[in-house]
Amino acid sequence: MRLQNRWILFVKYLLIIPACAFTLLPLIWVVVRSIEPDTGIESYSLIPKAITFDNYIAAWNYPKVIDDNVSLGTMLFNSLFVAGAVTLISIFFDSMAGYALARKNFVGKKILFWLALSTLMIPFYAVAIPMYIITIRMGMYDTLAALIIPFTASGFGVFMFRQSFLSIPADFEQAAKADGANDFYIYWKIMLPMVKPTIATMVVFKVLWSWGQFFWPLLVIQDYSKMPINLGLAMFRGHNITRWGLLCAGMIVATIPILIVFLSCQKWYVEGLSGGLKG
Amino acid sequence: MRKKLRENLIAYLFCAPAYTIFAVFLFVPIIWVIVLSFKEFSIITFNSAEFVGLKNYAKLLKDQVFLRSILNTLYFTVLYVPGNTILGLIFALLLNKPFKGRNFFRLALFIPNIVSMVVVSIIWSLIFSSSTTGIANRLLLALHLKPIEWLSDYRYALIAVGIVLIWSGFGYRMLIFLAGLQNIPDELYEAAALDGATRWQITFKIVLPLLRPTTFFVITTSLINSFQVFTPIYIMTGGGPGYSTTTIVNYLYTKGFSEFQMGYASAISVVLLVIILALTFIQRKIGREDIIF
Repeated sequence: MRLQNRWILFVKYLLIIPACAFTLLPLIWVVVRSIEPDTGIESYSLIPKAITFDNYIAAWNYPKVIDDNVSLGTMLFNSLFVAGAVTLISIFFDSMAGYALARKNFVGKKILFWLALSTLMIPFYAVAIPMYIITIRMGMYDTLAALIIPFTASGFGVFMFRQSFLSIPADFEQAAKADGANDFYIYWKIMLPMVKPTIATMVVFKVLWSWGQFFWPLLVIQDYSKMPINLGLAMFRGHNITRWGLLCAGMIVATIPILIVFLSCQKWYVEGLSGGLKG
Repeated sequence: MRKKLRENLIAYLFCAPAYTIFAVFLFVPIIWVIVLSFKEFSIITFNSAEFVGLKNYAKLLKDQVFLRSILNTLYFTVLYVPGNTILGLIFALLLNKPFKGRNFFRLALFIPNIVSMVVVSIIWSLIFSSSTTGIANRLLLALHLKPIEWLSDYRYALIAVGIVLIWSGFGYRMLIFLAGLQNIPDELYEAAALDGATRWQITFKIVLPLLRPTTFFVITTSLINSFQVFTPIYIMTGGGPGYSTTTIVNYLYTKGFSEFQMGYASAISVVLLVIILALTFIQRKIGREDIIF
């Protein structure tokens, strides 16, 4: 029995370790290229020849990274600002709607719930052209607002918040109502703190999603100083294909913030996934 | 009666911000894109957009590049959906029960998923870069194989993109399968083991059938995703060589935002919309209702 277990463990490692090498080595390769003096893409050593942070300093300061007076630092700030704003506002809007759908009785509740669900089926790419026209007409073209405002609510968020508000017993609300608290107070001070795990889950989903956006910024942002870092990196690669070390440093800089968010909220993210499965 | 009215009003106020956003950026656009697909215009000539009826759709049916983009997407689906599903399932089964290093391995397999698609695409376009400079080709040379023009040979470009999407996507599927495995009660394994079932039998006779809803979910969502691939193609191959890697969304982008044939691009959008709605419908009808993402 023991021998058999060891044998199975051996087979497990034999399958898992190459798979981990497949997922990790490309990332390690980029990290190594980013911390050594620029040796070019033909360099595949996983041990840096010398360690330097010149690439990072250049990425942060270099004024003509693309052919404009914009550094990757500015673009990193744009991404942080957009992801932060989308996350905060959309969690607020989604939880308000989710709260009403879960705890209030009103005319048209079913229709509104159905509408929130139906947004999940609409592929973003299919509505890009009218969204583009609307964004231009609202005067948001080439502003950070174009990257934020359209995404300040999501059917997915409304649904998730509705589910978690449904599971809270009615006593809390009734006690607060008896004390004469108003509706917004009940939502904000009593109900919202009770769904902290859902908030944490939504933070990870929204940050990852907003950070990963590419198609939409490509359509609505032209000015380098307003580009999120992902779009900036794609432009940098298109314009300047010789500075590999700098490109690699840029990619690491673009990944670290979401890595931090993910690692610190990992528990909730995974629970959110299984929560979504259980419904 | 007044209390009832008040209650309604408060609920609407709570719903107003989210539903205003939905209305302006989803519900209006979805109707509008259908209207636009019957017109001919670029963003500059928008005000003088001409109603052309079904002309855009008739043109689509005869457009070889569009048909090619659908075929590419299907070919891609055949590569990417089974790859991600099978790898996700295998590694979920391997990493389900605790053993030394399990948490590290889970994280290691999942980590590409959080790296943004742009960064993923740039990393892999460096790895796949041409002739003898890229790592992929150096590896082939080290194995005494011929180097491949991964991204500029029409025979390999789609496969290269498929590899990239599997690299970044199977860890996520693994996580979904792991969540599905958590829902299988331990007693079932114990009872089967008591009855003398082997690991093999437990896996194939108990675990896999119970995972069927999860598997169905993974397959349908992967299908929906593979019909919407854009970023890796845009960055790695630009749709080429020729049109060998052009997907529906890449073609939509080219027509609408490079060539500014926005009416025509709207017709492509509507076709995409219909495909995705059909897939979603299949998922909801056959799949479990309570799984939402």
